[in-house]
Amino acid sequence: MRPRRLVYLIGFLLLILLLGGCKADGDRWEQIAESGVLRVGLDPTYPPFAVADGDEVYGLDIDLAEALAQEMGLEPQFTYFGYDGLYDALTTGQVDTLISALVVAPERTRDIAYTTSYFDAGQFLVVPIDDHTIAGMVDLAGQTLAVEQGALGHVTALEWQRRLPDMAIAPYPSVDAALEAVADDSAAAALVDHVGARLFMRQATTKLPSPLKLLPDAVVSEPYVVAVRNGDRTLREKMSAGIEKFAKAGVLDQMVDRWLGD
Amino acid sequence: MRQPMRHPLSGQRLKFRNGLRLLAMVILLSVLQPAPPLVIVGQPQEVVTTHAIFGVHTRLTDEVEEWKIQRSLQMVREMGASGIVEFFPWAYYQAADGSVAWEHPDMVVNHAHAQGLTIIARIGLTPDWAKPPDTPLTYLDGGSYDDFASFAADFADRYRGKVDFMIIGNEPNLSYEWGYRPTAPEDYVELLQAVYPAVKKANPDMTILAGALAPTLEPEGSPWAVNDLTYLDGMYEAGAADYFDGLAVHAYGLTFPPEVEPDPNVLNFRRVELVREVMLAHGDEATPIYITESGWNDHPRWTHAVRPAQRIRYTLDAITFAEENWPFVEMLAIWAFRYPSPTRSYPDYFTLVTPEFMTKPIYDAIQSFTGNE
Repeated sequence: MRPRRLVYLIGFLLLILLLGGCKADGDRWEQIAESGVLRVGLDPTYPPFAVADGDEVYGLDIDLAEALAQEMGLEPQFTYFGYDGLYDALTTGQVDTLISALVVAPERTRDIAYTTSYFDAGQFLVVPIDDHTIAGMVDLAGQTLAVEQGALGHVTALEWQRRLPDMAIAPYPSVDAALEAVADDSAAAALVDHVGARLFMRQATTKLPSPLKLLPDAVVSEPYVVAVRNGDRTLREKMSAGIEKFAKAGVLDQMVDRWLGD
Repeated sequence: MRQPMRHPLSGQRLKFRNGLRLLAMVILLSVLQPAPPLVIVGQPQEVVTTHAIFGVHTRLTDEVEEWKIQRSLQMVREMGASGIVEFFPWAYYQAADGSVAWEHPDMVVNHAHAQGLTIIARIGLTPDWAKPPDTPLTYLDGGSYDDFASFAADFADRYRGKVDFMIIGNEPNLSYEWGYRPTAPEDYVELLQAVYPAVKKANPDMTILAGALAPTLEPEGSPWAVNDLTYLDGMYEAGAADYFDGLAVHAYGLTFPPEVEPDPNVLNFRRVELVREVMLAHGDEATPIYITESGWNDHPRWTHAVRPAQRIRYTLDAITFAEENWPFVEMLAIWAFRYPSPTRSYPDYFTLVTPEFMTKPIYDAIQSFTGNE
């Protein structure tokens, strides 16, 4: 065979392989749209994201699911599962999507696709509201950092201490106690999880000796995402677009504030 | 001057050859890998601890890299654990022709032994050739008990002097652990009766542990499980007493502090005392208990979890409680030291060390507790 033809042949075969790999495996958007129902799987035991109370279920994930369904012209239908059963429910087709404070699991991406993140539940710094000296962990050299003993924030602080040996770590038995230490000036900042910090500040800020603020950038990010089956590309794109639209319009912030805000 | 004549395709041939060379280089570079790190077992070490009862369940079954196995076991010793419980799945090692791939268990056992750790080996999971088609790995029926016994005996013989304790199976009172079949104590006792003499013949020094039963409150007639206390009673009724030297027990605290009173209708740490009552009711005072899984979980959302600070306190209090109140308990092993990779779910919050070997504060607290600061 002449070299040019051989090159063309190899190129053609590669193209076939590539196109084969790109084939959407069972995009069921038409069926979902036709049914008019978005079947949402969730674990309703995680306040304030989803809590079941009798026949009712409420929380940030519920608000998001309802808004996304409405955006797509669908009615949400919620089905409850234990946390461990969520992905099986999705892969076996019992639900169309999971909206349940999930983080991306890279090892599942053969079967599962994720949307844009709608909330970062990671570790954040909390400082006194009038502090303008601390913008990140590097500013804590020579300072005291409060943490919840044993929690991820504590582990992260210990890692940072290798770089900042003169940063003192003060472990407290709870998120609330760590944040109170910042409020009463026993610590310069606290490194705690986003939800714990927001819930504390929602309930206690007015009672504290000095108000606190959450710094905007996560020290350790833990983005919550929506999960769909890998083949459901249209559904994923529509949900990602919805989340992005809500974020731009401030709707997402309103949802978060409703459950975690002042 | 006359120019040399060029073949019209000669330039293309040259490009094609260069392309082929480049492709060959790319393929060659893609398969080249750095040499694996050189790992030597090293000099024998000794565990230093003020709490000899304390052990930990490692999870090295799926850990491929030798340096990580060694590092895990070094850290276990440095934490002050006197021993480990580790799973050695029959299904992973023995082929249909009877040959056994001993490389991985050799690696784990040799490194653990070099660190001075007592090893409790849990043997389980059935290879495909020893079970009917389309059955789960936990399916083991009477037709293969002798094969299982033979493997257990070979294991006991091979690791004589290094592995002195062996658990037969795991949580046989759960249908899931019994191949998704109805589970009955008589069936498990038959297994013990096949394994015990074979292992003792191969290595008389091996201490054989029965169990460990899953603590469960499943009602009578449930297809999923048999209540652990009922099941243990049934084991004795079926004549198990002569076929085990120690009882492996799982004792999770769930959301309760360790000192909370035992209650047959509650799952908590002191359920061990109810297990002991069953043993005593059958006159089995001489047989010790080995708690091969225990601990608390500090996942932020799991309904059976506690806060991280509580987890630390409960764990240390549990060790102290067992030492002071349970003379019949030989080991209290915490589940689990480390996973090779994250599960991204609540099991990650049982561990003492991250997959990247970063110690969690509970590790540091235990290390200090055992006098290894």
